[in-house]
Amino acid sequence: MPISTRSVIVSSFAFLFVGLLALLGIVLVTLWLNERAQFYFDDVVEARDTRSAAVELRSAIQTAESSQRGFMVTGNEIYLAPFDVAKTQAQRQMGILKQLLSSYRASDTAVERLMAINTAKFDEMDQTITLKRARHDDEALALFRSNKGKALMDEANIFFSGIIRSTDDRLTAGVAEQRENAGWVRLVSALGALVILAVVGGAWIVLSRYTQELRATRDEVTALNTDLEKRVGARTADLVMARDRAQLLLSEVNHRVANSLAMVSSLVNLQSKSLTDEAAKRALAETQDRIFAVSLVHKRLYGSSDVGAVRLDEYLSGLLEHLKTSLRHDGQGVSLSYELAPVLLKTDASINLGVVVTELVTNAFKYAYPDGAGQVRVLLRELPDGKAELVVEDDGIGRVDGAPAKGTGLGSRIITAMASGLQAGIEYRQRNPGTAAALTFPTVA
Amino acid sequence: MRRKFGTLPKLMGRAALLLPLGFSAVALADDRPQGITEPQILAPFNPYAASCMVPPGLDRSLGFAQDNNRQFIEGVGFGLAQAAKDRGLSYEAHSANNDAVAQAADIRSFVERKFGAVISPPVDVFQVAPALQEVIWSGGYVATVVPPPATTILNAPQYLTGKVLGDDAAAFIRDTLGGKANVALLTQDSLQFLTPRFVAIRDALKDMPGVNIIADISPNPVSEDGGYATMKIILEAHPNVDVVLGADAVVLGALRALREAGRDRPDQYLGGIDGDPTAIFEIEKGDGPYKASIALSSPVFGYALGNLAADWLDGKSVPQAMDILPVALTKDNLKQYEADQADPGAVFNDPVRRDAYLRMYGNICYDSRDRYLNFPWSSEAE
Repeated sequence: MPISTRSVIVSSFAFLFVGLLALLGIVLVTLWLNERAQFYFDDVVEARDTRSAAVELRSAIQTAESSQRGFMVTGNEIYLAPFDVAKTQAQRQMGILKQLLSSYRASDTAVERLMAINTAKFDEMDQTITLKRARHDDEALALFRSNKGKALMDEANIFFSGIIRSTDDRLTAGVAEQRENAGWVRLVSALGALVILAVVGGAWIVLSRYTQELRATRDEVTALNTDLEKRVGARTADLVMARDRAQLLLSEVNHRVANSLAMVSSLVNLQSKSLTDEAAKRALAETQDRIFAVSLVHKRLYGSSDVGAVRLDEYLSGLLEHLKTSLRHDGQGVSLSYELAPVLLKTDASINLGVVVTELVTNAFKYAYPDGAGQVRVLLRELPDGKAELVVEDDGIGRVDGAPAKGTGLGSRIITAMASGLQAGIEYRQRNPGTAAALTFPTVA
Repeated sequence: MRRKFGTLPKLMGRAALLLPLGFSAVALADDRPQGITEPQILAPFNPYAASCMVPPGLDRSLGFAQDNNRQFIEGVGFGLAQAAKDRGLSYEAHSANNDAVAQAADIRSFVERKFGAVISPPVDVFQVAPALQEVIWSGGYVATVVPPPATTILNAPQYLTGKVLGDDAAAFIRDTLGGKANVALLTQDSLQFLTPRFVAIRDALKDMPGVNIIADISPNPVSEDGGYATMKIILEAHPNVDVVLGADAVVLGALRALREAGRDRPDQYLGGIDGDPTAIFEIEKGDGPYKASIALSSPVFGYALGNLAADWLDGKSVPQAMDILPVALTKDNLKQYEADQADPGAVFNDPVRRDAYLRMYGNICYDSRDRYLNFPWSSEAE
């Protein structure tokens, strides 16, 4: 099942929260156990001191008893050397023991009893020693044989063993508690470590799965892109081939159209030569120029990579050069000049414009200079707002507004029809001298 | 009806006095046979030993010179009477009420009347021994309960007595208390001869690491009140006591102290020695802390001594000494023990049951009567 980014964030926070809880648990348990350890440490120290005092007291009494017995048997004072020290030590340890036991258990009665035994024991030993020193051996021996000293020691031993046992129990319990605490620390630490490991492991698994899924998605997208690029490349190659084929075909069509128009033009020319009527010949010649104008566009398209538009400066210059030649007989001494800006125009419109230019230049050659030489100028310039202006002007006799058309009037109709196809209007401007026919039309750009 | 009998300690105490003072010196002034005066170890009794001649001039009469009428001695008398009846002896018992002179007079009276056998627990060894020797010199059979002189000395092995109690307590500690116990040992310093009992008890417990002897002390006096006072002191230092061992009297006192302090528990082990009736009553309850009492069956050994007297008078060889073996009375064997007390003849005539109570040593008969024992004999002497 895929992991979403949201679930990754949520689970990451969950893992962090659990890890934090585990860490908090470890810290709290450790603090609590440390507090308990301190308590039991104090208790163990007190128990140890109590045990030590009881053992020291017993040892002191036993030392004194050994000293007394040695003196009783031998009468040698040297045995009594440690007696007084042991007695003092016993009294001191008894005091310590009483103080230590005062804060522990209901042991007042036992302590009082032990103190009484201690006192009685030393009284008995003092008494026998005194009797022995006074050479009252029989009395000393009688007291000795009464077993009073042994009975007191036996009774004292009950209390010593009781104190030692209870302190041993406290020590054992304290150590056991410490061991248990240590066990808890280990357990909690181990559990915490396991939880943290589980959290880290869980986070690692989620991130790992998420990374794997991202990588898989990336690889999938890359594969798709590669496939798409291959498909686009193939499609592009197909399109290029199709385009090339279309261009080839179009070029061929243009070539054939141009050839066909050239052949039509030749047929018109042959027809013209078979005629004798000059008017008919001129009409055919004009027709031939119009055909040329059309065919010239196709010729340009034949060699151009752009069949949608025609550079007018290139197209019109060729057309005008042709007109120079074909109109040589119509306008003796009339020269043709042109100044053309590099304007792009749609192919269909270019044909219309070529026909218009042919008509206007032919008219100028035929009618502007009835008396001889003159100059016809063709100007093409680009206007703002995506338009261009074509002007054919002369310095001839000029054109009278409203005057009937010279000739058949076919030229004017052709100009009007072609200008309409160009979505343009033809404007005739009077010049002194001469006339300027201006055509404003939209360009490709 | 259940019979309950007393103890041997007093008799043994008297015998113990002979050790430091040299008992054999009592009769050294006399030219007549003094018997075996140097302590020696006796071989086991041989029941197939050669017979002797029948003591001449003596009646088939059995006299019992009692020191007093306590239950234990009455039990001996009961056994003697049963044996006399079974073996066709006449039987006569006299109690000296703890008067040694009277007891010696009773014994001399038996001699004068030609009694073939005299049984006696001497009140005072020094005063009674000469009278006993007179019985022996007359060719009669003399059996004493513990002290010499006698053709047959009856004794109780003290170490074994303590060992039986110690082993029973150790088994309880192992089986019921998991091997851990606080043990109070109530000794009896006033009777030195009983020391082996407590040595045996300590020996039985010394190899148990969980056993802690919290008190090893002799109550003063050795009585129920002494045990009570001592136990109260012990409880001040050791509130938790698991096992109390000692004589029945002091252990019963300890039980009273435990009950007063609310420290008695069913899983405690209180065990005594002597077969005290009150101790047996506590054991019979079955759910109390009192678990065992070590008893010496006086009717059984009384019956045995009566039988040996008859054998002597029949010219047979009899043991020079006899141990009355301790029996740990528990709620499980109490009925059988009481049955044995009531019919000691049945016990004696069943070798297996007899061996559970008695162990016999040495051989003596009329012909070898000069080798009577005249030293404080104990099967545990080394």
